[in-house]
Amino acid sequence: MEFVASHPADNESIIPIENTEVVSSSAKISNGHSPHPVETADRIHTVDMVRGVALLGILLMNIPVFGIDWSVANSVLRGPSTTTDFRTMAVIFTFFDGTMRGLFSMLFGAGMVLFTLNKKQVPGGVSVAEYYYRRLLWLVAFGMFNAYILLWEGDILFYYGLFGMLLYPFRKLAASWLIIIGILCITIGMFKNVWWFQQTRETRANYLSAVAAEKEKKKLTTKQEEAKTAWDNIIKSQAPDTVKINKNIQTMRSDYGSIFKHFIPRNSGNETWGTYHGIWDMLSMMFIGMGLFIMGFFSNKLSTSTYGMCLLVGYGLGIPIGYIFFKGAVIDSQDIARYVDAYSIPHWVLYDGRRLLLCLGHASLIMLIYRSKVVPWLMKALANVGQMAFTNYLMQSIICTLFFFGYGFGNYNKLSVHQLYYVVGTVWIFQLIFSSIWLKYFRFGPFEWAWRSLTYWIKQPFVKRENKISES
Amino acid sequence: MLPELSPEDNDAITTSSKDLQPTLAIIRNPALDILRGMAVLGALFISIWIFGGFSTIQQNELLLQSKGGNYRLWGAMELLLDGKMRALICIVFGAGMVIFLSQKTEQVTTALPDLFIRRQLWLLGFGLLNALVFLWTGDILFQLAVVGILLFPFVRMNPRALWISATVVTLIYCGKIYWNYADDRTAYAKHTAVLAFEKKISKDSLLAAEKKIPLKEQKKDSLSAQQKEDKAAWEGIVQQHKHDLKAKDNGVKEVRNAEFGKIWDHFLQATQGREARWTYQTGVWDVGGMMLLGMALFKKRFFETNFPKSRYLLLGIACIAVGILLGWYRLQFQQYALRDYTKYVIGHWTPFNLLFPLERAFLTVGYAAGILFLFRSGLLRFVWTAFEKVGKLALTNYLFQSIFCLVFFTGFGMGYFGRLQQYQLYLFALEICIIQIVFSVFWLRYFTYGPAEWLLRCLMHWKWLPIKTHNKKSPASALPIHL
Repeated sequence: MEFVASHPADNESIIPIENTEVVSSSAKISNGHSPHPVETADRIHTVDMVRGVALLGILLMNIPVFGIDWSVANSVLRGPSTTTDFRTMAVIFTFFDGTMRGLFSMLFGAGMVLFTLNKKQVPGGVSVAEYYYRRLLWLVAFGMFNAYILLWEGDILFYYGLFGMLLYPFRKLAASWLIIIGILCITIGMFKNVWWFQQTRETRANYLSAVAAEKEKKKLTTKQEEAKTAWDNIIKSQAPDTVKINKNIQTMRSDYGSIFKHFIPRNSGNETWGTYHGIWDMLSMMFIGMGLFIMGFFSNKLSTSTYGMCLLVGYGLGIPIGYIFFKGAVIDSQDIARYVDAYSIPHWVLYDGRRLLLCLGHASLIMLIYRSKVVPWLMKALANVGQMAFTNYLMQSIICTLFFFGYGFGNYNKLSVHQLYYVVGTVWIFQLIFSSIWLKYFRFGPFEWAWRSLTYWIKQPFVKRENKISES
Repeated sequence: MLPELSPEDNDAITTSSKDLQPTLAIIRNPALDILRGMAVLGALFISIWIFGGFSTIQQNELLLQSKGGNYRLWGAMELLLDGKMRALICIVFGAGMVIFLSQKTEQVTTALPDLFIRRQLWLLGFGLLNALVFLWTGDILFQLAVVGILLFPFVRMNPRALWISATVVTLIYCGKIYWNYADDRTAYAKHTAVLAFEKKISKDSLLAAEKKIPLKEQKKDSLSAQQKEDKAAWEGIVQQHKHDLKAKDNGVKEVRNAEFGKIWDHFLQATQGREARWTYQTGVWDVGGMMLLGMALFKKRFFETNFPKSRYLLLGIACIAVGILLGWYRLQFQQYALRDYTKYVIGHWTPFNLLFPLERAFLTVGYAAGILFLFRSGLLRFVWTAFEKVGKLALTNYLFQSIFCLVFFTGFGMGYFGRLQQYQLYLFALEICIIQIVFSVFWLRYFTYGPAEWLLRCLMHWKWLPIKTHNKKSPASALPIHL
């Protein structure tokens, strides 16, 4: 190796992808220091592959938010269950709701372990921790860029940047502890959901007693009046408000400035409460991902039968629970009063458990397909997508906003739910091809390169070495 | 005279203590302890408004009267302390971050960044405890923890870069204040447009009636939904800024409720609003700017014993003068805005509190410089000793303030919420200060760390540590400054 590790960036500059940081630095370490878990090409490949699947899959859940007013999806759920749109939603929600974000979070946790472990540190130089935190601060900035400038209100980078900052002290824990902590986070999230639902139920109960009192022609106390309006407000917030919907559609089909303004309060609201209440959603999966990665789950180290078992259990339990969850959401969207009267615990308690099972199922399935060597070209392409996950994620925002919003092609709210998935398919094919071509010539995706350069505060090599040689 | 301590001495102490202390102990800087102590005690005089139920409405009433002893008392507190003590806490915290992260690492088994992040996470836990169990809605530990983590990569920067960062962050803070106000102005402009339209259509319909134009040919004569919304938006804003006496006893009943659960419910919204919305929109800039300033000042050796005394004096006088001037103007304009917000919006390009972040920064730095000048001059030594002791137990004292106030003011305890006059609240705060000073002095005679500080250290290192170090040469009391 011709490099001298004078700068930490040199550690990684040999092979462009993130995961190879381990390869390069461990190769150095193994010269003198303690031996290190075997790094095979497989390992790099599979992590990227799963990440690629998650990255593409995340668009399945995001596309309705990009492309239609939510009232459209709601009316599909309220309508007959025989329409193509309803069936599409049933399949998507049963199999994928939250799972792709879940996988993405898991791989973020895994990437965190990869980034911080085995990095050589120059005494007195910038520590790994500092690079890690710089990197995440930039990620927060990219997230805000994605939300406020690229106008993607469903951005997750902002949250990943912030929550990633909490992971650092946990990186050396045993896998079992990490998974226990992850499950603890899930439990906290569950409790919050149950608690919120109990509050809704309380509002409903107060309303019902106020209505009963009214029927007996008793004069209502101010408290009862308040109880009545509280429930009425909930009903009102659930009912479609045509004025608001039309205004939203009109705005989304207008120029950049109007949409930008329209999104400011939305984005700041999302980022405020998404951070404060949504933390358990992502943090739990990050911890579990760290644990699974240390166990070797994502690096193709487990036996085929283990992956088979995970697939069986994950899909076997996850799909039925997912279907029950979807059914619950349908009843909820049809008539919240009926839902609150019928259930004492919301379907939301199933959300994370179901998600975890399905994530395991998805990841095992990918691993098994990879091992079976059925479609190696596809797996390679997926790995390429995963390698450029950051670029591809931002690119989805760029493509979809341009396709749907008024300053681009203005297709907002013009497609039906199932038609949206044609767009998804097109974006997928494009990203699979684009990533494969790009990585032939460049070391990183463009945004990866920018992110890296900002983190190390020095311009990183961009073009692939072979090309440079051939040029000269 | 106070012994001057050169950096070499500092090192000597650290290395000699290496064998005595398995885990690191923070070298205490008396200047920082004094300022921290003063900030924690001073902050109570503002927090007591919220603790004791001296509401914004009552404060606005005083501002509108703008005369009388009560107004002067409130004005002085608002001008001199409000926001400034929080700023001082943040400045000292920022300086403390630099000290923490530049300790000699060979003493420590765990890497410093790990310890630091762990400490911040536990501090976050303490903040949640303070807010959700001791029911202090204005808790600052939460923000110190979060923003401390965000600013971790900034610690390495040189003083100049830190200084620039602090300025940029403070300017963003000003910008956000301006931006909110600009929204109000836009809302007002829309409102005027709607009013003009309303006038026009009423004129049109009058004309139409005169000329007997058939109904079909008349123009649209009612406001669109958008116009109604615009009209209501501005009316809502005016309502917010209006002084409304009717809402005076709002919350008193809930806080005096005897059931802890009910009080908890009542405070939950405020707490979450503080931890989530305030942190996102304001706190990051508010706390972050001052932390960066603290780091910059520390790296400029502002807190060290060889910082020239004359410069303390100069900085103190100049900064306090500028700060008070800015605050004075702010209060004037705040009063105009309160009297008639519509008139204010028409007449002013900028919000009354546009320069509040600067006012705060100037006054706080001025205080710090002034106090350090007096301290270095050897004046009022007993005061500084008292503050130093309180500052060493800052976390303990801060948490105890919440507990005292929970017991004294809420219905869960004695239920004095909303029952005390303004001056009585300050007297109560003073009593707590005395209790805390006495407590801190006595506690430190027997122990090296305050109970909360000790707990935090144990949690951070994840093992039991002694609450006192027997050896007199121990790093915790290493600085040979006994006042």
